[in-house]
Amino acid sequence: MKSINLKENQFIQFHQKISFKFDGVKYFGYKGDTIASALLRNNINLVGRSFKYHRPRGIYTCGIEEPNALVQIISEYSEPNTRATIKKIYEGMEIESQNRWPSLENDFGSINNLFSPIFTAGFYYKTFMGPHKKFWKNLYEPLIRRAAGLGKPPKDFKGVSNHIHHNVDVTIIGGGLNGLLAAKSLINSNYDVLLIDYEEQLGGIINNSNKISLIDNKEPKDWLKETIQEIEDSKNIKILKNTLVTTYNYVNHLIAIEDRFVGSKPIEGKVNSTLHKIRTGHTILCNGHIERFLSFQNNDLPGIMLSSSFEKYMCRYGLAPSKEPVIFSNNSNSNSLVYSLIKAGLKPKAYIDSRSGEEIEPNLFDLIRKNDVPLYTNSQIKGAFGNKKIEKILVEDSSGALNEIKCDCLCLSGGINPDVHLFTQSKGLLDWDEKDLTYKPSKPFQPTITLGSASGQFNFDNLNSDINEKLKTFKVKKLDVKLELNTNTKYHIEKLWEVSPQKKSLWAKSFIDLQNDVTTKDIRQAITEGFDRIEHLKRYTTNSMGTDQGKISSINALGIVSDLLDKKVNEVGTTIYRPPYAPLSFSAIAGRNCYEFYDPERKSPIHSWHLKNGAIFEDVGQWKRPWYFQINKDESMHDAVQRESKNVRENAGILDGSTLGKIEIKGEDALEFMNLIYTNSFTKMRQGSARYALMLGEDGMVKDDGIICKISDQHFIATTTTGGAATVLGCMEEYAQTEWPNLKVFMNSITEQYATFNISGPKAREIMKKAFPNINFSNEEFPFMTFQFHEFNGIPIRILRASFTGELGYEIYIPSNSAPKIWDNIQSFGKEFGLAPYGTEAMHLLRAEKGYIIVGQDTDGSITPIDLGLSWMIGKSKKDFLGKRSLTRSDTIREDRKQLVGIIPSNKADKLEEGQHIILDKEIKSPVPMLGHITSCYYSSTLGHDFALAVIKNGHSMIGTKAYASTSSMSTTGVDIVKPVFYDEDNKRLVS
Amino acid sequence: MLIINCPYCGPRDQSEFSNGGEAHVKRPDGSKEIGDREWGEYVFIRANPKGLFYERWVHTHGCRKWFNCVRDTSTDEILVTYKLDEKKPNLNNFKSVVKTPSGEPEVGSGNFTVEK
Repeated sequence: MKSINLKENQFIQFHQKISFKFDGVKYFGYKGDTIASALLRNNINLVGRSFKYHRPRGIYTCGIEEPNALVQIISEYSEPNTRATIKKIYEGMEIESQNRWPSLENDFGSINNLFSPIFTAGFYYKTFMGPHKKFWKNLYEPLIRRAAGLGKPPKDFKGVSNHIHHNVDVTIIGGGLNGLLAAKSLINSNYDVLLIDYEEQLGGIINNSNKISLIDNKEPKDWLKETIQEIEDSKNIKILKNTLVTTYNYVNHLIAIEDRFVGSKPIEGKVNSTLHKIRTGHTILCNGHIERFLSFQNNDLPGIMLSSSFEKYMCRYGLAPSKEPVIFSNNSNSNSLVYSLIKAGLKPKAYIDSRSGEEIEPNLFDLIRKNDVPLYTNSQIKGAFGNKKIEKILVEDSSGALNEIKCDCLCLSGGINPDVHLFTQSKGLLDWDEKDLTYKPSKPFQPTITLGSASGQFNFDNLNSDINEKLKTFKVKKLDVKLELNTNTKYHIEKLWEVSPQKKSLWAKSFIDLQNDVTTKDIRQAITEGFDRIEHLKRYTTNSMGTDQGKISSINALGIVSDLLDKKVNEVGTTIYRPPYAPLSFSAIAGRNCYEFYDPERKSPIHSWHLKNGAIFEDVGQWKRPWYFQINKDESMHDAVQRESKNVRENAGILDGSTLGKIEIKGEDALEFMNLIYTNSFTKMRQGSARYALMLGEDGMVKDDGIICKISDQHFIATTTTGGAATVLGCMEEYAQTEWPNLKVFMNSITEQYATFNISGPKAREIMKKAFPNINFSNEEFPFMTFQFHEFNGIPIRILRASFTGELGYEIYIPSNSAPKIWDNIQSFGKEFGLAPYGTEAMHLLRAEKGYIIVGQDTDGSITPIDLGLSWMIGKSKKDFLGKRSLTRSDTIREDRKQLVGIIPSNKADKLEEGQHIILDKEIKSPVPMLGHITSCYYSSTLGHDFALAVIKNGHSMIGTKAYASTSSMSTTGVDIVKPVFYDEDNKRLVS
Repeated sequence: MLIINCPYCGPRDQSEFSNGGEAHVKRPDGSKEIGDREWGEYVFIRANPKGLFYERWVHTHGCRKWFNCVRDTSTDEILVTYKLDEKKPNLNNFKSVVKTPSGEPEVGSGNFTVEK
């Protein structure tokens, strides 16, 4: 294809040369060029290989609808699947073609084309099923992934994206003739208006074609300049250029993406795209139309493009991709291309129309005759042929004779469709227009107005009356614009979806979806196999499922299906258009919510001390908790955890428990409320005492646990698990508001207001005495499960005697701001007693030795308190509490429920693992009945061997028996099922 | 993204709210004998109509108040929101679109696969 440069215009500057690289070779383009227009200028049309068959593909369009020309932008973090027809070039840009190896010219994958008869519809579903399911994962999938596909993922991405919210009265989408006229009529009205266009220059059809000769007796370009100036000067209209509306949600919520670096390289660290989230009163859709292609044999050869795209290259980019293209059309939309070519001193090599001579517009007929263009009426192209580019076509003329025409470019027009994507995303209804052979917007679901060709008005006759009628609700002054046209534009089309090939062969392909390599044969086959519903057919053949969503072809597919099924197109229906309209990068969606802002990190008031003292952190919800403390770099996690836990058992340890959820409950009816929320009864509990409590869901399953401190019948403080704090508060609020609104009770989170330190170990009392000399810590004065309020150096503190380790323990609650000081104090007083910090892992080990559960680890939402052996915690005399009735459901009183037990290896040297299944037989012979699994498992230096907690069927009655734990290597380990307590069974250490 | 009219705060973005499922489901009185079926239905069974639906929402990132609404599940349109202690509105007051905008039949979804 030999292209020539035409006249310069305001969009393209021939004096500003730009160099760029395509597949490593340096080329020149001009400022204003897209990648596609620059490549065409350099006579390059082979730009990629197709998805499945690796067929050579060229530039098919000149805009957002491009199915083929997708490239990888190496100079922008290797951004894949960029539309070459939109992306502007800049100095030093590096571009690579996609889906080819080793090179675009000689692509190994094109061998697929030879095997194409087997790569038909449903290929993946039918093949690769055997001989073993492992083959899919290890062989087929990696092979297919390498061979099929588009670009490669970006590398070292450093782009930044912002989000901006707008709240406006009217949003006009599309800045073409109708969009500008709508905006013009809203100038200086009382409405806040956004005018959005995805191009850098407003104007649409005025810039892209020679259809219009005069507007209000002015040159279209002059009128455009004046109108844009007027809109820019208005107070109430904001224009967003380079912005593509991708999504039209419910309640007129639009999402649009703005490219901030058009025609220049994105600067690292600067915002390269902005995501606009727009809430608007009315949406005016002026997003125009998209031309369709036509299906015939080899309609994918490089050198074939849409006729309106050819004209756009001429009008906007001053470039004729070919000096003498052949035009093939079934409608009047390609008239203006003939006009544009002749105006530019060029001439079509031939004009082929499927319509009869009488149907062709008279002024087109005259133009063709006057310029001696060979005209074929009632004719069709039977096929295009050539090696990696179009070289000749076969035309069947009205007499049925075949004519061979040599050519380097073929322009197609299969008719035009209103761009209904956004309209249908808004849930508007479409209607099939039998005359114009396309779906058109009919009933909007939201306050949506469609204007111009987006509404299916393909003629300009009713331009003024249509706009005036539809904008009536805004009560703005009426428009009276006079248009004069270069070509007759009464839209006329004759039905033609597909031309059947000259010779039927297994290898002859006429494509219906270029991006996904779907042929018309695939459509036929799918229907034969019973996939005749359009949504099934789409998924079975992958038609219109590419990144272009079949913009130039999906209506053709509906036409072909309707013919095959002998139904009307509106009976076939249409698949649902889903957002986004065009691909949107994840980085734009993420915006600033990435890296450290992806999810907030919550840190305890002691966090900086942990950092300085070798803490290795663990994420618990959003919290950073010390997992274990390394005393030196060489200490392994195992050694650290054993050292920490041993120290707690022998001396004392201190744990930062500030992340525990804390909820304060107050009010006249607080006692009754707590009795309803938790399983325990708090009625007889003394003031100043504490109780371990369980919270259930209404299904009777354990939801959370914690310690409840009763300050009075009107005042409680509850702790929750670190991860469950928000849920528990939410649950309390829900029931207080929805079920028991008569109870006078209020609750609030005080998690972040108080730090919590847990001092635990046989020497804990000594340390506490030293740190708080004014407090009597004797067993009589300060018994187990009681708490006291004190003041320490003017700081109010609460001390609770409780334990999660099985040792004598105290929990100190301190206002967060004063916490670091007291933490340091305790550290220094505790030194002589061997006090050392311990992390969550040692805590988990210690509590498991004691058989204390962790909700969410030893329970999974299917475990009742009875299953845990915690029936004693159920206030049976209480009339009601959350989930009470569920504890006597037939399912919850089943005997073979999974119940909590302890597990130790029969041979003490054996190792156990979390997640291991407990089974009855030593030999693994499938199917193996599963008894249950290990929920927590540790090595205990106190016991000298591994031990575990597990939930197994009917576990309580199996205590004292033997079973087996299956290993990942298909063998088993003998285990003893024991009571889930491994240390200090009679609680002597806790209470003394 | 919906706009939800919180009865306490006014219209706010959907992202501030959480859905709480069917509204006006009465919790059986715990002080009385409750049959297995009655309790089971309360815990596990909820209506899932296509069309008008009483629904609970909570203004999680706002006033944290629970309230009720009538939503058309076929269009997502929220027709009215009201406080918990207000009487539930009669559904006959609202016109249900029922047929979804994509033109599906009243029962099922997809393309005319289910005949009513």
